[in-house]
Amino acid sequence: MPSIPVSASSPPLLRAEGLVVHFHTRDGVVRAVDGVDFEVGRGETLGIVGESGSGKTISSLALLRLVPPPARIEAGRVLFEGEDLLALPETAMTRVRGRRISMIFQNPATSLNPILSVGAQLSEILVWHGMATKREAPERIAELLRLVGLTDPAARLRQYPHELSGGMRQRVGIARALLCDPSLVLADEPTTALDVTIQAQILDLLAELRARLGMSMVLVTHDMGVVARMADRITVMYAGRVCESGSARTIFHSPQHPYTRALLDSMPRLDRSYRSGGRQLLPAIAGRPPGLLNPPAGCRFAARCPEATAECRRVLPVQVAVGPDHMVACLRRGSQGMAA
Amino acid sequence: MSTAGPLLQVEKLSKHYSVGSRGLFRRSGGTIRAVDDVSFHLRVGETLGLVGESGCGKTTTARSILHLVQPTGGTVRFEGEDILPVFAAGARPDVLRIRSRLQYVFQDPTLALNPRWTIGETLREPLRIHWPGRRDQWEARIAELLGLVGLEPQHAWRYPHEFSGGQRQRVGIARALAVEPRLLILDEPVSSLDISVRAQILNLLVSLQQRLGLGYLYISHDLASVRFVSSHVAVMYLGKLVEMAEVDAIFARPRHHYTRALLSAIPVPDPDSTQPRIALQGEVPSALRRPAGCPFHPRCPAARTVCREVEPRLEEDEFGHRLACHNPA
Amino acid sequence: MDAAIPAPLPAPPVKPPGIWRQGWYRFRRNRGGMVGLGLVLLVVLVALACPFLAPHDPGDQSAMLRGGARAAPSWLHPLGTDRMGYDVLSRVLYGAPTALAVGLGAMAIASLVGIVIGGIAGYVGGLLDEVLMRFAEFFLVIPVFVVILAVVRLFGIIVVGTPLEKVPHLNLLTIIALLGLFGWPPIARMARAEFLRLKQAEFVEAAICIGATKRDILLRHILPNALPSLIVLVALGIGGAVLAEAMVSFLGFGDPKAISWGQMLYFNYEALKVAPWGSLAPGVAIFLTVLGFNLLADGLTDAFNPRLRQ
Repeated sequence: MPSIPVSASSPPLLRAEGLVVHFHTRDGVVRAVDGVDFEVGRGETLGIVGESGSGKTISSLALLRLVPPPARIEAGRVLFEGEDLLALPETAMTRVRGRRISMIFQNPATSLNPILSVGAQLSEILVWHGMATKREAPERIAELLRLVGLTDPAARLRQYPHELSGGMRQRVGIARALLCDPSLVLADEPTTALDVTIQAQILDLLAELRARLGMSMVLVTHDMGVVARMADRITVMYAGRVCESGSARTIFHSPQHPYTRALLDSMPRLDRSYRSGGRQLLPAIAGRPPGLLNPPAGCRFAARCPEATAECRRVLPVQVAVGPDHMVACLRRGSQGMAA
Repeated sequence: MSTAGPLLQVEKLSKHYSVGSRGLFRRSGGTIRAVDDVSFHLRVGETLGLVGESGCGKTTTARSILHLVQPTGGTVRFEGEDILPVFAAGARPDVLRIRSRLQYVFQDPTLALNPRWTIGETLREPLRIHWPGRRDQWEARIAELLGLVGLEPQHAWRYPHEFSGGQRQRVGIARALAVEPRLLILDEPVSSLDISVRAQILNLLVSLQQRLGLGYLYISHDLASVRFVSSHVAVMYLGKLVEMAEVDAIFARPRHHYTRALLSAIPVPDPDSTQPRIALQGEVPSALRRPAGCPFHPRCPAARTVCREVEPRLEEDEFGHRLACHNPA
Repeated sequence: MDAAIPAPLPAPPVKPPGIWRQGWYRFRRNRGGMVGLGLVLLVVLVALACPFLAPHDPGDQSAMLRGGARAAPSWLHPLGTDRMGYDVLSRVLYGAPTALAVGLGAMAIASLVGIVIGGIAGYVGGLLDEVLMRFAEFFLVIPVFVVILAVVRLFGIIVVGTPLEKVPHLNLLTIIALLGLFGWPPIARMARAEFLRLKQAEFVEAAICIGATKRDILLRHILPNALPSLIVLVALGIGGAVLAEAMVSFLGFGDPKAISWGQMLYFNYEALKVAPWGSLAPGVAIFLTVLGFNLLADGLTDAFNPRLRQ
C-alpha cells in the first residue's frame, strides 16, 4: 500500500469548504450537499464513499461547477492551487476543466462520443486546450494509450468506441483524463460498470499511474473494497453531510462514527463463513437514509443510530478532531452541536 | 412435499443462439453457446449460488429454467417432474401448477413492478391467477405477505415510485411468495440496492428461507453476498460450469484457476490486506469466438498443451467438489 | 398454510395519486399545455352550446334579401355577414361541432387501426412485424390529399340513386373515414415501439412467471403503459385532421350540407379584400383549434414523458 504522508504545513492541493448544493425542484429545495468539507493533498488519493443520495457525486461535480440543473451551488469555497474555483468567471473555469482537473466517468460506453474515432475525440481535447497542434496530437495520444496499457496504439487511434471492449474503453477514458497533465483527477465510480476481473485490471492501472505520475485523485465510490485498495484518505458521506474522515487505515480499523461502524459491519465478507456454528445473520442497519427534501433537524443518521440520544435528533453535529488526521461529526464523540 | 429427490435437477441444459447468418449483407455468422451442457441440482432448504461475470450465462440459465427463453437442449426436473415439455405444451392448468411453485425475483425492482399498479394490485395478480376460488382470502393474504417481507398493510395502496429501492425489492419478493412457491430464483436481488439496505434484504431472504423451507437459486456477481446466502456455489465461465462445491469449500479452497482469479480480484475492505492477487490477462473472449479446448485456457496461468486441445469435463472428487480442469490448483 | 389470516387491509388515510393524477400535476405547471387545454375546452364548449350562443340560424340567408351580404360587423351581426348573406359568427360557432366530429372521428378510427396493427406487430414480432410495418409505410407514402379528393368526387357520383344517398352528411363521413384510414401509420409505429419495449420489460416477464395469460399481459400490463405516449400522438392528430378537413373543404370538395370552417374560407376568400371578416373569422377558428390541440399534445408529452426532454 503506497501511502504518501501529507505534511500538515504544506497546503493541500484542493480544499472544499462548506460546500452547499441544493436541488430546486417543484416540491421544494432538496439539500443534496449540506455543508461539506474535504481536502486532497498532492499525490494523494482521497476516497469519498457513501450510498446513492449521500451527495458524494454531486460534491465532486461541484468542484468543477458541473452540477446539473435544477441543482445549484449555494455556498462554499473550492480552493485549488491558490484560487477559489467557485469565484472564477466561467471562461476561466473552462481552462480548469479537463486541463488542470480532469474526470474519469463511470460508464465508458456513454462517456465517449460514439461517432468520433478515439484519436479524433482525444486530439480535440488537446487542441482545444492548446496543448498540441492537430499534427502533434496523434503522437501524444499514442504515447498515453500505451501508458494506459493499450496495445498497438496507432491502430487504436482509428478505432471507434464500439469496436473496443468495456475494459479498453475505460482505459481510453483514463488516457483522456491524463491528456493535459492535470494536477487532479476526479474518478466517479470508475469501475462500477465493469466485471470484477476487469475492475481489478483497471484498479491496478490506476495504482500504477498514481505511483508513476504522482497523480492526485478524488475517487468517488460506494464500494468499500475499492476505497480500501485505492485511497490514502477517506471521507465518509451520509445524506449530504460528512460523517467521518481520516486515513484509510483509521477508517477501516478504528472507525468512530456509528454509521461508518455499522456500514462496515453490515457488509457480507468473502473471508468469513456464515454457516459454521448455525446460520448467522448480518448486523444490518435498520431503516433507510432520510429524504433530503425536509431532512431531519439533528444528525442525519440519528433515526438509524443505535447510540442516538434526544440531543442527536435536535442538533446537527460539526466535525471534531478525535485523533491525528481523523475527524468525526458525532455528538457522542465530542462534536459540537449546531442548532439546525 | 413428499419428494425425496432434489427440488430442482438441471441436466445438460443448453441454450444456443445463432447469429448473423440471416440477412442479405451480413455473412459472418455463428453460434453463441450462451449456456452449454450445464448440470446441477438443488435440494429443499438449500441455496445454490450461481456466479460468474457478465455474459457467462448465469441469467440465461435461470431464464431457461423458467422457460422465459426456450432452451436448446437438456432437461429440468422440478420436484421430480420434467417441466420443460410442460411449458412447451402450454396446457394452462399444468403450467400454472408449476409456475405457482417456481418463482422469480428480478434484479431491478423498479423495472419489475408495473409502474401503474398499486402494490396491492401487483400482489393481487398472482392470487387472481392461482387462487381464483379463494377471492375472500385475497386481501388478508396481501396483508400477510406485506408483513412477511417487513412492510405495512397500508403500503398496498401505494405505487412503486413512492418506495425506496429496498422496499420495492421487498414487494418483488412478496409477489414471488404470494402463492407459496417451493423454489425462488433470485437474479441479483440486491445489486441495484444501496449498501446500507443490502444487508436487510439478504437477512430477509435467509430468514424467509428458514421459515418457509424454500430452495433458492441465487444468481450474482457479488461473491461476498453469495458467501452469505449460499450453501453451495457453482461458477460459470463462457456458458460452462467450471466448478461447483459446498460454499465454505469453494471460498476456502477454490481449485479452478478461474474461480481463484475471480476471488482474488475482489478488493477486500481492508487497506492492509495482503491478499495475493492473481491478475488475469485480457478479457473474457466473445462468446462467438470461444476458444477450443478449455474455454479459459487463453487467460489461465496454469494452462498446458492438453488445455488447448481437450475440453475438460466436470468431474467430482471424493469430497463432492466438482471441477472442470486438467491441471487444478 | 393460511391458518392465521390477518385482518383485511385498512384503508389508507389519503388515497395516493395515480399515474394520471400525477401527470395532471405536471401538466398543470406547463403554461403552453394549459393554454392548449383552455382552447380545446373552448372549442368543445362552443360545439356543445352553439345553438344557444349563435345569434342567428346558421342557415339564415335573409340578410341577402335585405341587400346585407358582405356587411361589416354590426350589433345585429357581430362578425358581419358573408357574401352569401350568412351571419359569420353563427357559422363560425356552428363550425365547431363539425371540426370536432372530424378530428375525433378520424383519430378514433386511426387510433383503433394503429394500436391494433402496431400492437400486433410489436408484440408478435418477426415476419408479421415486417409485413405490417411495410404495409404502414405504404400508407405513409400515398398522397392522402389526392386520394381524398378523388374518392370524395367518385363516391359522390357513385352513390347517386342508391339508398346511401339518403345518409346525412355522407360526404363528411367519407372524409372522416379517409382521414382515419390514412392517419393510422404514425400511431401504429409508436404503438409498435411501445409494445416492443414493454413486452421485454421486466414487469411483463414477472407477469409471465406468475402465469398471466397473453390477454392479461396485453390488456392489463402493456396497453395501459403504452397509452400515455399514444395519447400525445392522438391529440396532435386531432389538430391535423381538423386542418386536413379545412383544406379539403377549401378546395371545394367538402360536404355542402355541413357547416365547416374550410368551406367558409372556400366561399369567401375571393372577397378577402372587400369583406375580410368572412374568411378571417373561420381562419382564426381553425388556427386556434389546431394550435389548441398541438399545445395540448406538447403539454401531455411533458406530463407523461418527462424524461423525454429536459
